[in-house]
Amino acid sequence: MMYLKLAWRNIWRNRRRTIITVSSVAFAVVLSLILESMSLGSHEHMIDVTAQFHTGYLQIQDPLFEDEPFLDNTFYYDEALRNTILNADPSIDYIAPRIETFLLAAGDLQARGALVMGIDLEMEHNLNRLKDRLTEGRFFEPGEEAAVLGAGLARRLYVEVGDTLAMLGQGRFGMSASGLFKVAGLMNHPLREMDNQIVYLSLPTAQWLLSAEDYVTTILVTPDEIRNTDPVSESLRDALGSELRVLTWPELMPELLQGIEFDKIQMYIMMGILYVVIGFGLFGTILTMTLERMKEFGLLLSVGMQRFQLSGVIFMETLIISLMGVLSGSVLGFPILLMVLSQPGRTKW
Amino acid sequence: MAIVRTEKLSKVYNPDTVPVHALRDVSIEINEGEFTAVRGPSGSGKTTLLNMIGGLDKPTSGNVFINGQEISKMKDSKRIDFRLQNIGFVFQHYNLIPVFTARENVSFIMLLQKRNKKEIQQRADELLEQVGLGERKDARPVQLSGGQQQRVAVARALASEPKFILADEPTANLDTESAMNLLDIMEKMNHEQNVTFVFSTHDQRVIDRARRVITMVDGAIHKDEIQHTDEKQDA
Repeated sequence: MMYLKLAWRNIWRNRRRTIITVSSVAFAVVLSLILESMSLGSHEHMIDVTAQFHTGYLQIQDPLFEDEPFLDNTFYYDEALRNTILNADPSIDYIAPRIETFLLAAGDLQARGALVMGIDLEMEHNLNRLKDRLTEGRFFEPGEEAAVLGAGLARRLYVEVGDTLAMLGQGRFGMSASGLFKVAGLMNHPLREMDNQIVYLSLPTAQWLLSAEDYVTTILVTPDEIRNTDPVSESLRDALGSELRVLTWPELMPELLQGIEFDKIQMYIMMGILYVVIGFGLFGTILTMTLERMKEFGLLLSVGMQRFQLSGVIFMETLIISLMGVLSGSVLGFPILLMVLSQPGRTKW
Repeated sequence: MAIVRTEKLSKVYNPDTVPVHALRDVSIEINEGEFTAVRGPSGSGKTTLLNMIGGLDKPTSGNVFINGQEISKMKDSKRIDFRLQNIGFVFQHYNLIPVFTARENVSFIMLLQKRNKKEIQQRADELLEQVGLGERKDARPVQLSGGQQQRVAVARALASEPKFILADEPTANLDTESAMNLLDIMEKMNHEQNVTFVFSTHDQRVIDRARRVITMVDGAIHKDEIQHTDEKQDA
């Protein structure tokens, strides 16, 4: 207790210096809290958006589809398969079947390659609130010969709502695929790359266009919580056998995850530099605190204090200064994080 | 048996470059109850001798026995503990821990001795009463005059119940009144509690009151005389 008292009072011998040191530690804590949570938050957001709009948290495919993502490697999707999937694990919240391929899309003036995605609108909406992304016009009815385009693609093709879009390409097993579709609406896709090439059709319309009635390329499965991804994938594998392949989000977006890793390393290097700088500041304070008291230490050793006891007191002083910094940094940083969290529109870009 | 005995004590500083012989074959004995001054001009080796006796410095050759134990060969941590249990110190400067109150300064040394809390509190209060600072127990060193600080230092030196107290120029920074007051207290403790004091000084006021005066010149004992022959005479 007396040692603690000694350490505590020593800290406040030079009040201003201590406050500056504590503040610098606190500053480092606040900064790293914000940096860390921002990067964590944005990375999670990137994964969520990619999973919801692109790959899904879990994806069911034909075993050949990953190597050859063509319409030839689609699989039959009916009520029975749907029930099998939904009953495979109680943690499954939603599923969304899709048929995807690349076709040539053309307006009056321009033609471009487009990613055509046939979806069940309601199921897709459960997965990613797709309907909220509509910026103009309306979505299609099931089976209607109408399309919703990414705003970026529409701009590049010079088409507007109400125009006609021609699509041309290859369907299943080499069948030719061609058709005219009314542009029913435009939407804003969160992944910029996809905004420039996406054409949504209703699932039956796309299946008809591609001569693939009742066939889909993928089924996206959403678990109730992301951490249940692995158990759900196990259950799905058990339920589906070797006919179909189940992939999880880390397998589906390796490039993104690698990018995130790289990003994290950059952040850790930044934070490392920050810590080193602050660490030197702290070290300087401790050093001057020690050097200016050498005579006092001499006295303490003379009257019978052991070296380890003296080191203990100095260690306590360092610890208290650091703890005060960390604590005040946390107290300061917490409301900032809350404020950022409560910013409306955080999840929209 | 003498409390302190030195045998042919020598100390050479900078033996390789410019050797300074601070002590040359000093052999003395100090017995229980003495009130002894070590005098001599600056550089005569007073402080060096006290540091050797106090186990603060190691001799180049020779031995120091405290209560029959050779301390100059002890390991560092053991020597520190030995000092804590056996020797009280009063220095000229930097005597007190500035962040502690008078009472905490006195208590601290007993805490290092791991005595129980109640005893520590009681003894600290008693000692501060004895040195006339009963009213200023909670003052920090900066709030005390030089004389008061030295009295706290004496109380602290006594707190550990040492075999003897070493005081290196305890009155050097004090005015006459404070110096006399401090000496009164030291003398009283010597008389009433038979506390042994050894102090270095070149202050004539202090030398006049010592019973035994050891005079050092150039690191050697020049004179060793007994001044007073009162009832406590035992040197």
